[in-house]
Amino acid sequence: MKKSIRYIGSLVLVAVVAYNSVYFKKLDEVKAGTASFDAGKYALEFWSKKLPPHTSKAIEIGDLLSLLQTDKNKAFTDYSHALGIGNVKYFLVKGSGTVQSVDENQVSVKVESGREKPEVILATEYVFGNAVRDASGEIDINEFTNSMDFNNVSAEINKIIREKVIPPFRSKVKNGDKVNFIGAIELNQEHLSTRLIEIIPIDLKITGK
Amino acid sequence: MAIVVSTLNNPWFVFLAEKAAAKAKELGYESKIFDSQNNTSLETDHFENAISSGYDAILFNPTDADGSVVNVKNATAAGVPVFCMDREINSTNAATSQILSDSYSGCVTIAKYFVETLNKKGKYVELLGLVGDNNTWNRSKGFHSVVDHYPGLKMVAQQSADFDRNKAMEVLESILQANPDIDAVFCGNDAMAMGAYQALVAAGKSDKVKVFGFDGAEDVVKSIQDGKIKATGMQFPEVMAQTAATMADQYFKGKRDFPKKMPVAVEMVKKDNVENYAAYGKK
Repeated sequence: MKKSIRYIGSLVLVAVVAYNSVYFKKLDEVKAGTASFDAGKYALEFWSKKLPPHTSKAIEIGDLLSLLQTDKNKAFTDYSHALGIGNVKYFLVKGSGTVQSVDENQVSVKVESGREKPEVILATEYVFGNAVRDASGEIDINEFTNSMDFNNVSAEINKIIREKVIPPFRSKVKNGDKVNFIGAIELNQEHLSTRLIEIIPIDLKITGK
Repeated sequence: MAIVVSTLNNPWFVFLAEKAAAKAKELGYESKIFDSQNNTSLETDHFENAISSGYDAILFNPTDADGSVVNVKNATAAGVPVFCMDREINSTNAATSQILSDSYSGCVTIAKYFVETLNKKGKYVELLGLVGDNNTWNRSKGFHSVVDHYPGLKMVAQQSADFDRNKAMEVLESILQANPDIDAVFCGNDAMAMGAYQALVAAGKSDKVKVFGFDGAEDVVKSIQDGKIKATGMQFPEVMAQTAATMADQYFKGKRDFPKKMPVAVEMVKKDNVENYAAYGKK
């Protein structure tokens, strides 16, 4: 009897050790970021405190396009930000104009400006990437131990835009509406194309018909 | 300068190593290239060798974000600065600086194009790189940060092929047997994209299934021109290699305040802009 209890006890012990020794995880759960870092909280703080002082100084989109034509380097030096080396740079822009079309993925706006009067796209579906995170130049990658944490900040900022900025605008906007916008854009300094500028919105207002 | 790279079995890393050596030579330094063969133990041997042989700096492409940290720390403790190229280690204070492709952002851009190309619906496969490398996850996470918003896009398989062309071909061949009706394959590098494309050609599905890669390797740039591969993320290994060698030169001359991380922007290459690009960078 004692022998069988010892035997069962040993089996239970082996089973417990074996169970706790092996873990199965989905590949994409591995290295998903630092557990202690709350990207959502960081993004909210950035959105409410760090970003507004910069958006209030955003360049008017017509003025930017005009400057890009006359002095591209000055436009990039004075108004763009990027975190490292490369041709991709981000700008904070503002403007106002008239809605030309409301499509599944975007709203097209003819800009009213004292200078260039482009038709730009306000992204309402594909709100992704680092444009808003990086355009202000406020966030430093070296604050982050793990680049995954840093990337998660972008995803959380874009989530705020998708949840708070776009729905109230998207539900009401119609062709012919007058709108004001503030947002971030990405331009390639080496291969500059301003033919179809896409703006990731930070603030959208319908001001009238 | 010792140039320690993860593998010389992939032309992209050969290019990275050779450009670092060329820049070191241009700056007046001798250099030697060490191949870690994707093996962290071998990498440790190379570091010990480099330190004991009196190399003054290590231009480093790590095999493992966690496993390589100790090698970097040992070198730094021995007074040898380490400049990481392309691949990251999970420590902000071990290396003197890390010059890294912004893989996440590059894959966000590719993923947006992926969603547009597939019109928000279809079945796809993801081939991951080495699971111990942060680039693998930065790319995958960048991709999924976009694609996962679209429930019409279903990932039927996600498997690692270790950034290797032959392995990618074998893995996709196996996946295709269970999932013959896929619409796209997203690959964490171009070597795997070429392997995936080969598997699709063998299965007679290369015209139907869209392949997306990452790196900007020569054969993929050409394949984009030919319409075989849809897009890739162009990295700039020459920029990274030259920056690392230049930083080492600056270190020897007394500079110490280097940014701990220096991201290098990735640009998407597709059919309508491929004329602007050549392998591993700009024309």
